[in-house]
This record gives sequence, structure tokens and C-alpha cells, in this order.
Amino acid sequence: MTTRIAGLEPANLTVHLGLGLVLLLWMVPEAYMVSIAMRAPETVFDPTLFTWPLTFDNFVTVIKDNPLPSFFLNSLIVTVATVILVLAVSSLFAFAVAVLRLPGTTVLYAVLLTTLMVPMASLVLPLAILLKTFGWVNRYVGLIFPYVALGAPFAVVILKAFMEDAPKELFEAARVDGCTPWQTFIHVTLPLVRPALVFVAIWQFIVTWNEFFLALIVMTENEMKTVTIVPMQYSGLYMANPGALFAILTIIALPLIGLYVLVQRAFVRGLLAGAVKG
Amino acid sequence: MSQTLTASPAGRTLAEIRPHRGRRQGTVYLFLLPATAFFIGFVAYPILWVFDESLMRAGSDGVRHFVGLGNYLATLQDPIFWLVLRNMALWGLITIPVQMLIGGLIAWFIERHTQQWRGFFRTMFFLPVVTSVSVVSLVWAQIYAPYYGIAQNYLQVLGITMTDSALGNPATSIYALIVVNIWQWTGFSMLMYVAGIANLPSEVLDAARIDGARGMRLAGSVVVPMLAPVTKSLLLLGIIGTLQTFPIVQLMTGGGPSHSSEVFGTDIFRQSFVLGDTNTGATLSVIVLALAFGLTLAQIVFLGARLGGRRAAR
Repeated sequence: MTTRIAGLEPANLTVHLGLGLVLLLWMVPEAYMVSIAMRAPETVFDPTLFTWPLTFDNFVTVIKDNPLPSFFLNSLIVTVATVILVLAVSSLFAFAVAVLRLPGTTVLYAVLLTTLMVPMASLVLPLAILLKTFGWVNRYVGLIFPYVALGAPFAVVILKAFMEDAPKELFEAARVDGCTPWQTFIHVTLPLVRPALVFVAIWQFIVTWNEFFLALIVMTENEMKTVTIVPMQYSGLYMANPGALFAILTIIALPLIGLYVLVQRAFVRGLLAGAVKG
Repeated sequence: MSQTLTASPAGRTLAEIRPHRGRRQGTVYLFLLPATAFFIGFVAYPILWVFDESLMRAGSDGVRHFVGLGNYLATLQDPIFWLVLRNMALWGLITIPVQMLIGGLIAWFIERHTQQWRGFFRTMFFLPVVTSVSVVSLVWAQIYAPYYGIAQNYLQVLGITMTDSALGNPATSIYALIVVNIWQWTGFSMLMYVAGIANLPSEVLDAARIDGARGMRLAGSVVVPMLAPVTKSLLLLGIIGTLQTFPIVQLMTGGGPSHSSEVFGTDIFRQSFVLGDTNTGATLSVIVLALAFGLTLAQIVFLGARLGGRRAAR
């Protein structure tokens, strides 16, 4: 054995140093964001990554002057409703395809999957017209329903794969025990695919929270805007005051980053358990 | 299973057991209803609508006339459309392989050479994916900014002199945006490859090592082919992701300067919502759809890719 540093062998230490170096480089934009947010007016235009001294004044100013909590509330309502609906709708559908194996479902499944090929760019115009007809512009449902329609197919793919991997005998036993399909769904199937449900919920949360294109078109009133589209208006408002703008950007970026750090273990576990098999 | 047993009504005899099919057959189709309803209302119907709208043209009297392929011919004669196609091709051809290569290498080193630090590296490299794209765009706009941005300042140290803003120069704007996309989405490729590598059978890796295959040769001859399903998923997602590129471009250049960084997303947005020409917007939407379907089907047929992969939305 050669000398070990921090419990690592030399070759492994090199790999760790290499990864750490790449990571430092990769984190420059995130660090730059926080760095500008913590600058005083004198240093804010310095073309360097870090400056000294640091100040929290920008955060105090932007929190005092702007209705940031209401934007977060909008995002939270839209995102949580979307996640719940996607889980409900897609697990029901996957159950019918994978467990009940109703005649005709394979065709319907294939049709539903075509959604995965549809880029948002090709749907914004017709969705905008449709939502206008329904009077759903600047309404939460105007975002929630299209998000559910676009998110459900991916969730169906994942949940169907997990349900097909589950031991058939369990469903058979439930049937023999006299469970109705609904009872089999609630008491047998959903507990079995819990890791998949968690994985789908996390991914759908990230995607919905960060969606930009449709939110930009549907939420035009200031009170209805989600956090992803508010930086735009502030970039104009705080053109001459980047410190304040970047304080807002930091406030907007950090909650989701923090949330991901909290749930990443469950997310990666779902991914490793075969969410990525297809 | 105890849950199941307690859930079934007590005192039930064998004769009363109802099979899944039979008189309940009609009602079990209700399981399919919600997802199907959402699909019809918010995917299928909008697609039919754009097809219809792309064949029409609103006249000066406000009445819609059927113009056949007239909108398509007009679009094909628009030089901006060809710029969009060129930019989309560049976007896909650069971002997809680069993100795969960097993401794959990082994943390989994380999975094969780290223990205690594995979770840390996996999480950190994924953070750009969960950073709001509008935040990412504004931060990078600041990085590229002339005079006070850090890109000019630090690249000068490396001997690279940027005479003007990379975003303001029509020759470089699209590449500057591509860099941002690579920065944001490499972590996604990394995590997909992490899952692929973690699920590789360890016997294969061990056997290959005993046979003398080491390091890069092991990776090249054994690992890369075994990770083909992940690579195919990433290709599929990369192409759809390329076609729906919008926020980075809209927020950083708005498709400019002089349309040099225009992509389908910004072009559809401009035609439909800025110029109010829904017929041209619909025509472009149909073209994007046709490209997405065509390229996906080609991969399914020629590469054996499967639509079971993951959908990256931005």
C-alpha cells in the first residue's frame, strides 16, 4: 500500500481532484450569481468573479420592495396541482394497461405516447387560442391542465414499467381474494410502485416549476405570474442595479436547488431502480 | 398483502368472487378516461387546430380562406426560416454529442472511482438542471456582457481576446447560446449515464478487467456499447429538446442580432404573438411537429430507439 491521503489511493485522489476542478469550473455561473447579489454599488460592475466586502443589502431591498411571496405562491399552486393530477391520471392509466390489460389499451397507450414527440414550441399557439376560448388566460387551470396533458405520458411510461416488473401473483391473489379493480389499484398496486411515484413526482415538480414558454403566454397579469417568468420584468426594472436583480435571481433559484438537494437521494434511487430502462 | 385482505369485505365466499372482467367490464374503462381526456383536449385537439390553421389565411375582410399549401410555400421562401433550420441543426449537432461526452465521462469517473463523495458529485453536477432557466439566461448574459462581464476578463488571461460581446455578434451569437445549453443540460446526461453505469452487470466489468482490458480500452470496447440504450434515449430527448429550444434564446438575444440566433421557438413566438400572424405561426408549428415525428420515427426504425425514455422539458 502506498501512502493514503484522506483515505484515498493516489490514483483515486487524482480522479477526485480532477472531478473537483471540473466541478469548480461548472459552478462558476452559480457562484457569480450569488457574488453579484452580495455586492455593494461600488463593486457591482467589477469584471471579477468575487469582490470584497460582501453585503446583504440587496436582499433586504428586493424583499421589501417586491411581492416575491405571491409569485412563489402562484408557482406552488400550479406545480403542486400539476404533480398531484399527473400522478393520479397516469397511475390509473398505467394500471389499466399493465395490470388489467383491457382490450384495446395497447393501441391507446401507443397513441398517448406520441405526446412525448410533441415539442412545446408547436403547441403554444393552439393552446393560447384554446385557453382564450375557455376564458382560462391568467387562471391557474390554464397552466395546470396543459401541463398535466404533457406530463402524464412520461409518467405512464415509468409507472407501467414498474407495474409490469411487479410479481404477477400479487395481483392474482388480490383478485382471488375478491378485490375489485379499484381496491387492487389502491391497496396493492400503488404501494408496490411507490419509488416510481416518488421519482415521477420529483421530476414533474422540477419540470413544472421551471416551465417558461406556456407560462409566459398564459400568465400576462402581474398577480398571476410564476417565478420563472418574473426575472424578465426585473431585468428591465433593475437594469442599472444588477445587485438587486441578482438578489432576486438568487432568491428564485435557491428554493428549487435546496429542494432537490433534500430529495435527490429518493430521485436517484428511483432512477437506478429502472426508471431509465426504456 | 395483509392490507389487501383487510380491504376486502369480510365474510365473502368463493362463489361471490367477481372476476375483473364480466359485468364490471364497462366501468373499468374509466381508469383510462382522465388521461385520455387530457390528451384529447390539450394535445390532440390543438394539433388538429394548427393543421387546419396552417391551410388557411385570414383575408383583409377578416374571413378565413382556404389557401392549400400557400403558407408552406411562403414559409419556405422566407430566408429567416432557413436561418432557423441552420441554427437548429447546429444546436442539435453540437449540444447532443458534447453533453453526452462530458456527462458520460463525469458519470464514469463518479461511478467507478468515488465512494464517499459519490452523492456529492452526482448532486452538484445536476444543479444547473434544476436552476430556473430564466435565472440561467440572465446570469450568462451578465457573464458575456462587454466591459463588466467576467468572460472577457478571464478569457484574456488565457490569451483569448473577445473584441465584442459574443451575444451581440451575428457570427457568434448562436454558439454563445449553445454553450449555455451545454452548461445547463450536461448534468442531465451525467445522471442518465450514472443510472446506466450503476446498472451494468459487475461480472462483465470484472471479466473484462481480468482479460486485461483496462481504463479507456475497457470503456471503449465494453462500456460504451453496453450503455447504448442510455445514449439512444439521450439522442431522442436531445432532438425533441432542440426543437423546443426557447427560453435561453428568447431571454438572451430574442433571436437576434438580425435573426442570427433565431430558433423555431422564437420564430413561432414572434410570428404568432408579436406579429399576430397565426397562419404563419401554425405553419411553423406543423413543420416542427413533422420534424419531431419524422426524426423520432427514424430513430425508432433505424436505431431501435424506444419512446420509453425520459422527456426533458425546458
